[in-house]
Order: sequence, then structure tokens, then C-alpha cells
Amino acid sequence: MSNVLRPYLAAVRSTLTAALTLENFSSQVVERHNKPEVEAAGSKEVLLNPLTISRNENERVLIEPSVNSIRLSIKIKQADEIERILCHKFTRFMMQRAENFIVLRRKPVPGYDISFLITNTHSETMLKHKIVDFIIQFMEDVDREISEMKLSLNARARIVAESYLTAFNS
Amino acid sequence: MILLEPHNVIIQTTLADKILKPSSVDVQFVDYDGVRFHLSTTPERKTLLLLSMHIRCWDELVQYGALDVLRREYGSLLQPQSEPDYNVSLAIDLEQLPASNEDRESFIMSVALFKRNALAAPFEHAFTSQKGLDSAGAGTGDLMQIHYRDEEAIYIQASHDRVTVIFSTVFRDETDRIYGKVFLQEFVDARRQPSIQTAPQVLYSNRDPPLEIRHLPNLRNTDDTGYVTFVLFPRHFTNPATASATISHIQLFRDYLHYHIKCSKAYMHSRMRHRVAEFQKVLNRAKTEVATTEKKTASGRTLVSR
Repeated sequence: MSNVLRPYLAAVRSTLTAALTLENFSSQVVERHNKPEVEAAGSKEVLLNPLTISRNENERVLIEPSVNSIRLSIKIKQADEIERILCHKFTRFMMQRAENFIVLRRKPVPGYDISFLITNTHSETMLKHKIVDFIIQFMEDVDREISEMKLSLNARARIVAESYLTAFNS
Repeated sequence: MILLEPHNVIIQTTLADKILKPSSVDVQFVDYDGVRFHLSTTPERKTLLLLSMHIRCWDELVQYGALDVLRREYGSLLQPQSEPDYNVSLAIDLEQLPASNEDRESFIMSVALFKRNALAAPFEHAFTSQKGLDSAGAGTGDLMQIHYRDEEAIYIQASHDRVTVIFSTVFRDETDRIYGKVFLQEFVDARRQPSIQTAPQVLYSNRDPPLEIRHLPNLRNTDDTGYVTFVLFPRHFTNPATASATISHIQLFRDYLHYHIKCSKAYMHSRMRHRVAEFQKVLNRAKTEVATTEKKTASGRTLVSR
């Protein structure tokens, strides 16, 4: 992990750990309903201040806490067209499998690439620090994976072009 | 398999089968760029095979001398009247094949190169007209257009010191377009390598057509269109063997490019699948294990939860 990345991830990790103090909270608007308040946004007093952690203008994390759920959205670095399409493919691939990733949201929040929704049920049935670990690991790996995919695409393109042009010499 | 083969494998295997064991056959199959084939036996004789081909740009090919090339390659096999719905037909009599095994192999191969030979005509035309222009010292030959696909075409023009081949490409899919750009950029850059300095020069332009074809009407002018120019020098076609290899090779450019774009996409997909499985494992570590100890009553019976 590079030295620039470490404080960014540390900031996300401590903010997320602090925000993951969730409790069971029934809806104040509809009787016998219990829904993630950050999504329903039915009552303002249970929403806490959203917080953005930015590494630079292209990479940031938005954490929106509420009394019984938090929403975490990640904007992944996309330097050029290729990274943009690879990032789009990758996040789409994951979000289509959202039911396996219990904390993953099916759609990202506008302006971000991928969003997670952690409710009080998740924090009760799963180990809190391990959920944080998962999100940090995801952030760490996704950049690396995208740049590796880009490199492999370029390497393949070079081999393909060279073997096509070499065949003219024979 | 990095390079594609110019011959049609179905023709090759079916023909080899039928030579060993003549039996009635009626197959329809396709090749790249929407070329359709029909291989059938006549009802009267099992040993007389009829191979017909439908190719989109047939009229243009005839104009550039495709019939002459096919007559040279296949001689009397070429039928004066083609089968209905098809452009050109070959009649292959299995009883009048070359006797030796090697000759037979090369005969099968030449039939399997049916599409390649039909499409070779404009290239050969360009190569000969380059020779004529070379002795004249200057000038350019006429621009030949082959609309081999609905939206894509090959343009060939001879000039006194080179032959220019331009492919117009259209990428339907956004991902294909971006991958294609990466690939084509590498084609342009690859020539800097000392080992491939002698390869044809490759130029790539997005959206703007090259000067040679800029005057043509009905060119698409959208963002997904690109033009790839190959500049063939006399060293690529003065020797007849090299010329025929060059023709076989350059015809397959579009198929080659798209084949490898699809391969890259498949590779990316398998990679993502792997990475997502890894993430899944990390998340699974977060799940608390439910204690599954066996519960028993005082009398020794086991409690089962339903």
C-alpha cells in the first residue's frame, strides 16, 4: 500500500467504525414499519450529518449515517476512457450480485460508482470490525484490479498488433 | 491461436470426408462478413458436389475482375450459371480428382479458399495497376470500393510507389469502441519496433476519413466510425508468393481485430468473476457463526428445530 493511500484508508476506517453505532429503530411515520432511515428519509431528526472524505478530486467516500443504518458511497479513480469503462463493468458486475454481498446496494448514489448500505440487522448478525475490513479491502483492491486489467488490455493489444504485422514479413 | 486462418474449415473437412466416402450431402453454412455457403450433391449423382457462395459485395467484385481470378484458380469447375439465391457456384466431381495425396490436399485447400480468392480480385487489380503506374512514374489508380459489410467497407487505391488499403470500422458497442481504440493505437505504435519495420505502415483516424476517400459521398461521420489505413509497399507484393500471403492476411484484418476484442472482453469477465469471488470470501469472514451444539432433554432425546 502506498504511503498516500494509507491515511486516506485510515480516515475511512475510523469514520466508518465510529458511524457504525446502530440500533433498532422503528419508523416514526408508518406504524409497524422498520426501514433504513437513511434511505427512507421520513424523519429528519434521525439523520446525522453526512461526511465526505476526499483523497483528491476524483476519489472520495461519502458516509451518510442515521440512527439505524449508514450508507457509504465510493467514487473510484478513473483517469481515462479505458479506466472508466473497466470501472463501470466491474461495479456493474458486483452490483448484479448484490444479494450475495449483503451490504451492497444495487444502485450507486448519484455522483458515485458504488454504494453500500449497512443496517442495524447487518451489524447485529455480522462482526462489525470485519464489515469495516471488507470495505477497506474492497477500496484497496478495486484500484489495483482496474489498473491491472488496463495493463493486461494494453499488453494484449501490443501482442496482437505485433503478431499481425510480423506476419507480413514472412 | 493468435492469427486467423484464411480458409474455411467446414469446406475443408466436409470435402475431405466426402472424398473418402461419397454420400449425399446438403449443408448451408456461413463465413465471416455474412458470406453464405451451400454445399450439396445433385440428386442424380452422389459424387458431383455443388458449392455455391453468396457474398454481399459480389457486383463490386465482378467489376474488379473476380470472375477472372476464380476462373484462373478453379478453371472448368466454375459454373457459368450459379445456383439461385447465390452469386457463384463450383461443381466438384469427386471422380476426377488428382490422384496423389498431396495434390488432393492442395486441391481441397484451394476450394476452401473460395471466399478468399473471390475477395482477392481487387487487391490483385491494385497490385498490377501499381506496376503500370510505377513504369509511368507518377499518378494514382482508380479508387476501388468494396462494401463487404452493411456499414463497413474496404477502399483500395494504387499509386505509383504504393497501394493504400483503407478499412472503415464501426463499433456498435461502447466497450468495443474503447477496446478497439486501444488495439488500433497499438497497431500504429507497433511499427516502431525494429523487427517489424518492414511491415506495412498503419494509420488510424477516428471520425475523420483519410484524404484518399474524403470526397466520397455517403461516408458515415459519427463518433463510432474509424478509418484504418494500411500502406503496402512494393516489397509486400512484387513476389507472387508474398503477394498472395499479403492478400490473405490483410483481408482478415477486421475479423482479427474483432476476434481479439471479444477475447479481451471474455478475459476481463473471467478476471472479474475471480475478483468478486475473493471479495465474497472477505465478506463471509464477517458473518458470525451460529453455534450448532446438540440440545438434549433430560431423558436423552434430541431437540430438533423446525
